[in-house]
Amino acid sequence: MSALEVLAASKIFNQGTTKQVDALVDVSLTVQPGEFVSLIGPSGCGKSTLLRLIANLLEPTTGSVSVNKKTAAQARLDRDYGMAFQQAGLFDWRTVSKNIELPLELKGWEKSRRETRAKEMLELVKLPEFADLYPWQLSGGMQQRIAIARALASHPPLLLMDEPFGALDEMTREYMQGELLRICGETSTTVVFVTHSIPEAVYLSNRVVVMSPRPGRITKVIEVGLGATRNEDTRAAEGFFKGITAVREALRGTHAEHAAANAVRGVEDR
Amino acid sequence: MLARRIAYRSSMFVVAIASVVALWELYKVVGPQDGGKLFGVSILPRANDTAMPHIWSMLSRYGRPEVRGSDTKIWSVVLSGAFFSLRLSLVGFFLGTTIGVGLAVLMSRFRVVQRGLLPYLVMSQTVPLIALAPLVVSWGGKLEIGSFVWPRWLSASILGTFLAFFPIAVGTLRGLASAPAAALELMESYAASWKQTLFKLKFPAAVPYMVPALKLGASGSVIGVVVAEISTGLKGGIGRLIIEYAREATGDPAKVFTAVFGAAALGITMSGLVALSDVVLMRNRPKESST
Repeated sequence: MSALEVLAASKIFNQGTTKQVDALVDVSLTVQPGEFVSLIGPSGCGKSTLLRLIANLLEPTTGSVSVNKKTAAQARLDRDYGMAFQQAGLFDWRTVSKNIELPLELKGWEKSRRETRAKEMLELVKLPEFADLYPWQLSGGMQQRIAIARALASHPPLLLMDEPFGALDEMTREYMQGELLRICGETSTTVVFVTHSIPEAVYLSNRVVVMSPRPGRITKVIEVGLGATRNEDTRAAEGFFKGITAVREALRGTHAEHAAANAVRGVEDR
Repeated sequence: MLARRIAYRSSMFVVAIASVVALWELYKVVGPQDGGKLFGVSILPRANDTAMPHIWSMLSRYGRPEVRGSDTKIWSVVLSGAFFSLRLSLVGFFLGTTIGVGLAVLMSRFRVVQRGLLPYLVMSQTVPLIALAPLVVSWGGKLEIGSFVWPRWLSASILGTFLAFFPIAVGTLRGLASAPAAALELMESYAASWKQTLFKLKFPAAVPYMVPALKLGASGSVIGVVVAEISTGLKGGIGRLIIEYAREATGDPAKVFTAVFGAAALGITMSGLVALSDVVLMRNRPKESST
């Protein structure tokens, strides 16, 4: 059983007008439960659009998306996924703990149950002492950890992330990557992860989906076999560099095709 | 932090009052006694004691009886007048807040309503209050809803409402629209209902916009009530005192100022009440946005 299935999905904005944009054309992708899949590609390749189709924040123009064997719309209504964005997007007027409780409040959980779960989530992201602070009193990395805790608070089987570490500095970023793997391992969550960074995609993923723009589509899917336990040594391992080279070459391919259009703008080669 | 800010604000308030007093008395010294004329048109106010009484004679007037031979000191008359008007203003302010916030929610929910209604709201504020006051009184007098009889004071409150609702509606509308797109997307990803999004995201995000709007609304409701009292001759309030005392300006020039200060104190009290809510509502917000 697949956790997520995208079948021949296309998304065309402003169809039939002069401003028509083929954001995504004929994209198919299947993700297995517990798998970590990254979407990488230059700006305008439709990776964020694909994530929003999965989240049912956008409807596909053609094709279909199913999550947990349900339509994407039903999965959203059933809160089958959590989502995290580049900006942590915590609510300034709520304490850290209340921010984590937000999705539970919307589901109608009662207070004591919410508080217990928020506490568990804070333990999970290793910030239990910050429960009663306000988000603006925390560093960017801490805020992002709280955002992940919020996304996972109702224990959804699927986590969708749109460049969640894009605004963090390199050191914090690597630490967060390790934390994310640990958290997803402990909760056996399936992850779809949009990123600009090649090493980030390779380090985190079971599979890296390389996409190219105009029109947005999947050009290559690269299997990365770094094993279940990854640590700082992994970043020096041969498999890691092999993966980076493979992804880079796949992106170059898209670059060659679109050299005139300066397509790799936006891909961080680090 | 908070104590320092309050101390700073109060000291600025004292400085502002002191400089107005100083300017007033300075003009009395240097200004022409019978007014300044330029090409036969008087442009400078008369500086004599009838037109511009000394500040201390205004203040000492508070301690003397309202009318000669009476036992009631004028301060108690002005105080009870101000209190009467304060109650009317509060009624007007609460009605104005309800209507203003209600309209803002309606406008933010339906684009069509916003486009259709907003121009009329703007236009409504160009109607002169003086013209409107007698109309509201006569409409109110004709109203019969069961056993409900329209009290005369309610007309004055309604005019306060009329001035209060507009800034509140516009400010709240802007505030509701200020919720960031990413936060709205987040609520959508949680399949939150419109009501949940309104109360858990849009209203909290609107607070920094609503507080200044409510301050404007509070002083607006005072102006509306006082003007309505003056133009409809409603007894008991500070507005009525102002016209009554103004008639005695030649014989007792300081008297009218006691009522004018009463009206000013009323306005300050109203916006002070709102400022207090500001301190309470914004206590946990990031300091940059609360200034």
